[in-house]
Amino acid sequence: MLPAKMIAALQAAVDGSGVQVNRQSGVITAASQMQTYECDGLTNFRAMPGAVVLPRSAEQVQAVVRICSEYGVPFVARGSGTGLSGGALPAEGGVLIGFSRMNRILEIDIANQRVVVEPGVINSHVTDAVAQHGYFYAPDPSSQTVCTIGGNVAENAGGAHCLKYGFTTTHVLGMDVVLPSGELVTFGSKAVDAPGYDLTGVFVGSEGTLGVATRIVLGIVKRPETVEVLLAAFDSVAQAAQSVSDVIAAGMLPAALEMMDRLSAKASEAAVHPNYPVCEALLLIELDGGSSEVEAEAREAAAICERNGAWEIRRAKTAEERGLIWKGRKAAFAAMGRISPNYIVQDGVIPRTALPKVLEAMQRMSDEVGLRVANVFHAGDGNLHPMVLYDREIAGQEDLAMDLSYRILHLCVDHGGSITGEHGVGKEKQEAMGYMFSEPDLDTMKRVRAAFDPRGLANPDKLFPRPRMCGEKSGPYVPHPLETAGVAEFF
Amino acid sequence: MGGVVRAEELRVELGGAVVVREDEGRTIASPSTTDEVAALLRLCSAKGLRVEVAGAGTKREWGGGAESDVVLETRALRGVREHSWQDLTATVGAGTPWAEMQRVLAAHGQMVALDPLWEQRATVGGVLATNDSGAWRLRYGSARDLVIGMTIVLADGTIAKTGGKVVKNVAGYDLHKLMIGAFGTLGVITEVTFRLHPLPRDLRSFTIRAPDSGGLATLIDSVRRSHLLTEGLQLRGTQAGLSLDIQLIAPVDRDHLTLFDNLAAAAQCAVEPAAETARAARESLFVQPDRLILKATMLPQDVIPFAEEAVEKGGDCVAQTVGVLLASFPGDMLSLKLAEEFRYHVGSQGGSTVLLKRTAASSVVEWSAHVSEGDRSRAFPLMREIKRRFDPERVLNRGAMGGV
Repeated sequence: MLPAKMIAALQAAVDGSGVQVNRQSGVITAASQMQTYECDGLTNFRAMPGAVVLPRSAEQVQAVVRICSEYGVPFVARGSGTGLSGGALPAEGGVLIGFSRMNRILEIDIANQRVVVEPGVINSHVTDAVAQHGYFYAPDPSSQTVCTIGGNVAENAGGAHCLKYGFTTTHVLGMDVVLPSGELVTFGSKAVDAPGYDLTGVFVGSEGTLGVATRIVLGIVKRPETVEVLLAAFDSVAQAAQSVSDVIAAGMLPAALEMMDRLSAKASEAAVHPNYPVCEALLLIELDGGSSEVEAEAREAAAICERNGAWEIRRAKTAEERGLIWKGRKAAFAAMGRISPNYIVQDGVIPRTALPKVLEAMQRMSDEVGLRVANVFHAGDGNLHPMVLYDREIAGQEDLAMDLSYRILHLCVDHGGSITGEHGVGKEKQEAMGYMFSEPDLDTMKRVRAAFDPRGLANPDKLFPRPRMCGEKSGPYVPHPLETAGVAEFF
Repeated sequence: MGGVVRAEELRVELGGAVVVREDEGRTIASPSTTDEVAALLRLCSAKGLRVEVAGAGTKREWGGGAESDVVLETRALRGVREHSWQDLTATVGAGTPWAEMQRVLAAHGQMVALDPLWEQRATVGGVLATNDSGAWRLRYGSARDLVIGMTIVLADGTIAKTGGKVVKNVAGYDLHKLMIGAFGTLGVITEVTFRLHPLPRDLRSFTIRAPDSGGLATLIDSVRRSHLLTEGLQLRGTQAGLSLDIQLIAPVDRDHLTLFDNLAAAAQCAVEPAAETARAARESLFVQPDRLILKATMLPQDVIPFAEEAVEKGGDCVAQTVGVLLASFPGDMLSLKLAEEFRYHVGSQGGSTVLLKRTAASSVVEWSAHVSEGDRSRAFPLMREIKRRFDPERVLNRGAMGGV
């Protein structure tokens, strides 16, 4: 329970002199109403905050953080709660700052290709706002129709098209941040290369542990003239993987390069009927740019796939044809429910060339344990989403599945990769951080943390490893309420 | 603080592990591994010696210069350690000259997509520490978009790895972003992993002149709106007027050149083959002695007006249309006053200016701290706090970056 005096101070900060008629208070303390906020997309971790606060302005955020600082109470910022690693999981009994009321696009500057937003703005609304001028906001996490820019900044969100267009960090030029002390500071600017340390660069992807962004300057990108998608079917994952390497080696930079194995293609087919060929590996190549480049590259990519043994190649030029091919890929995670009662999704990254070796090892591990592993990859940048399939009703299988999923992450690190390509560390992969980084590496990161937040009030107990409690375990995939409601897709 | 430390003393204390020499009264250490850098820094920290980190010294004045007892020279941290050409990544020693790295990568038709100044001499570590960039950033971004991992050594000898060897990676803080542009004040970069790009094919370079800046503005705008593949759009301002350098990817079997010619004609611009490289144009700004040189950053739409203003005020400039402008002003008092005015105007339009090279007279003029913009945004105290956490005794590059 938070002290009554603190609750009153929070109310004064966000409601002003009192709650006006027909206007709800910006402070929620009723347990029934706070349930919405007790987890994010990683639904097996839950914690009840002491209060949920919904500020309307940077000044209100500042006031809220000041109060937290004064009482020494931790706070966690939350956008739409679509994150998959528990980044927006509340600190038990702490303050949760929700950004649903700070959702204004503050400035659209087409001449300079900038958009300035509040953190609660939905990702796809940025593109909606500039589409008429021929621009788009490039990072496109699968939850883009519901997730917020503030959350994207915290997690350094990616998406299927980051192979060509980069991640959130590529497109954020500056921001206003409320530091854990309550001080409001500006990092970067609308112009590039603001003098001094690149605080914007270190803040993006810091998972809410360095402060709270209240205003964000984004860069937008010109929409390509043409988009074309190729679908190629192979008899082996190795052939498809070789095609990926050859496409890259030929100097092409596709907008997306995705791969699905037999198991995940089968699940997608069962779920959304994209009419995929039945094969061991499906490759999806999206090319975009000027029409003449796309035409030349599509021919070259198709030839590469053929040389590597593709026995069917489809070229989708219209939006409908492209939509059908993508539909199956986008449904891959949710479709797993069709072939397995439970599953765990992981988010490892490996160097592209390690793909055949890692898949072989993964198959071996899967055989040893007797659990199936389905694979969907952002193959172009080596980002794997292995899904460990199991049945919770069978005694001991859940523990086996969780152990296997963590060993797969270790396998990625052993091959020179990373434990997370886009989902973040959050609560879920704290321990794996200790496998990927040495003590001095982590200690150096903690120096940054200490400079921003010496008392550790911002999103505490996330990102960095901590000793595991007895009996504590990480968990399987449980559909996010948004996914169940059909509002968002897991990608 | 022990005055000048003798090379012999350091050599002995380091067990002969690190090459240390004396040169014109300066003590210079040349560690050849990350471990040697760590041993040297541990020793210097313990003895209270100030260390200046030096690559080839091409940009030594940038960031204000540092006070030191010992120079840590990175030249022995040299070589491409790993080139995973199929993964489009490479790991390189920080003391490697930029051009040497590019030659190795070119064997597989690849490059780090950044064209910094003085690439024959400038080292990888120096280019990153100063966040230098050139015309290619239009297409590929700056160093912060190209570095995916680093090994750094902190002042107390802590060796830390940040990022990794894969392009997509969100595990932990992006410490390498903090190191880029930090002028060596937070740690010594010893190894860097880059994401690579294929060498561009069918690259054509042109210089464009127009009767007035309106024509160039129209052309830049129409090129930006078109689907031409531009590697660089660089504006040059001299007392003879403004011109534009453009690098275009134009395969012969496609219609790019015709399209470009049409755009140029519509904007009433005359197109000629490029007289020199875009990089040479930037380097030429630094050739004349006793000039004041500034790096100004601004919004893209302000680049032409500010290039014109720099010229009006007696300066020469080279600007990237993404919003980075280098300007060189004569060293006399009047010109310095005009440069200060220019600087004020850039700041009032939301841009920033840093001083790269002083003149004899500029030490007399009141040029405020390096991080003027940071001061205004109140982020400077936070930068100081980061410095304090990384290097509490201020061992590394003391005095650089506005004495952060």
